[in-house]
Amino acid sequence: MKLALTLNGRPCTTEAPDHWTVLDLLRDGLSLMGTKYGCGEGVCGTCTVLADGRPIRACLVLAAHVSGRSLVTVEGLDADGRLDPLQTAFAERGAAQCGYCTPGMMLAAKALLAENPAPTAHEVREALSGNLCRCTGYTKIIEAVLAAAPGRK
Amino acid sequence: MRLTPFTLVEPESLTEALAAVARLDGEARLVGGGTALIPMIRLGLVKPDRLVSLHRVPSLAGIRLDGGALELGALATHADVERSWVVREGWPLVAEATRRVATPAIRTSGTIGGNLAYAEAASDPSPALMCHDAEVRVVGPRGSRAVPIVRFFRGFYEAALEPGEIVTSVRVPPAPAGARGGYVKYTSRSAEDKPLIGVAALVALDAAGRCAHVRLALGGAAPTPIRIERAEAALMGEALTDAAASAAADLAARDAEPLSDLMGSADYRREMIRVWVRRLLIGLRDGAR
Repeated sequence: MKLALTLNGRPCTTEAPDHWTVLDLLRDGLSLMGTKYGCGEGVCGTCTVLADGRPIRACLVLAAHVSGRSLVTVEGLDADGRLDPLQTAFAERGAAQCGYCTPGMMLAAKALLAENPAPTAHEVREALSGNLCRCTGYTKIIEAVLAAAPGRK
Repeated sequence: MRLTPFTLVEPESLTEALAAVARLDGEARLVGGGTALIPMIRLGLVKPDRLVSLHRVPSLAGIRLDGGALELGALATHADVERSWVVREGWPLVAEATRRVATPAIRTSGTIGGNLAYAEAASDPSPALMCHDAEVRVVGPRGSRAVPIVRFFRGFYEAALEPGEIVTSVRVPPAPAGARGGYVKYTSRSAEDKPLIGVAALVALDAAGRCAHVRLALGGAAPTPIRIERAEAALMGEALTDAAASAAADLAARDAEPLSDLMGSADYRREMIRVWVRRLLIGLRDGAR
């Protein structure tokens, strides 16, 4: 099956077998390894990417379903060699330990901040409610998202 | 881990979709957002060799008003429903329940039509839709029909759909004037889990504070979402006192047919139904003052 989409701001034309998910397409079709495979059932959130600005589970969405849409993965967060404020905040505040959940966390947070530049801690928790972290206890992740929120400065 | 291979068919109209479904045999499945089906394939519970995706069928998308009723296209995602101002202002109970489905990234893919067709026993939206006397619209080889939602769930994960039928929309009449609705989702493990039990209620009180209209429905309380008509009848015409709320909660706990699973035992579910039906009813009464 042929697919045409926008990937991290650039047009992307590719092919994928019918049964591939977005995660298969990203990792195995396009060699973008930033998006992780966790549970494969939509529970853990580590494969979260943005489709038209909204978070989706790459492991649950068929590749065919993102044809014509705009995808953003962790590889698309930085621009012109500069890290996204979320990446800087995660690094500076120790919000990543093993790092496996971090791409999904940052993309779920990116979608939140695009809609709500000054979220409360509660709103951050809700937005990240589908992203599991087994290292940090979440405190530093929430602090990092709040620190990166443009409307809270 | 890859999904077991299947062929994907992507019809671009309802006519094409019906033709594709009519040709299905063996292990073939319809797919909307995929949030239910893809994990089932991944876990090996189903092994379809063909999938018919409805995502290119424009008439199944969207949220409309139709003669004062709300019409949710089968492909409207939970996120579409919870964000729609039409739904939030006119059908706040539906918006409130839909906002509790799983997590944000699931709600952007999962569809209302899929949730209904999957006959999720612990569905968040279904009890709210039952309170609104919603109808599920279905089209199939023998034409279209509307099924009242209370008759749409036949059994455990079994919807009242015949072979070749597709859910096209759900039609949600407005609540009676002055009615107030609420949804409580009680989870025993984590907040984004399926509900151990979900309770939806829609209540209108008359000038004297007596129940003039009552709907009460539960998710996770039986093999399918259920309406508790005995409790509704007991409340009609009565003042919504603490005692009346308790009596209704007792009836709900008695009429439920909860199952035991990893989230909790049947006995625990029954007890939580008793607790949360009472609290929701009293909350609606006090909020309505």
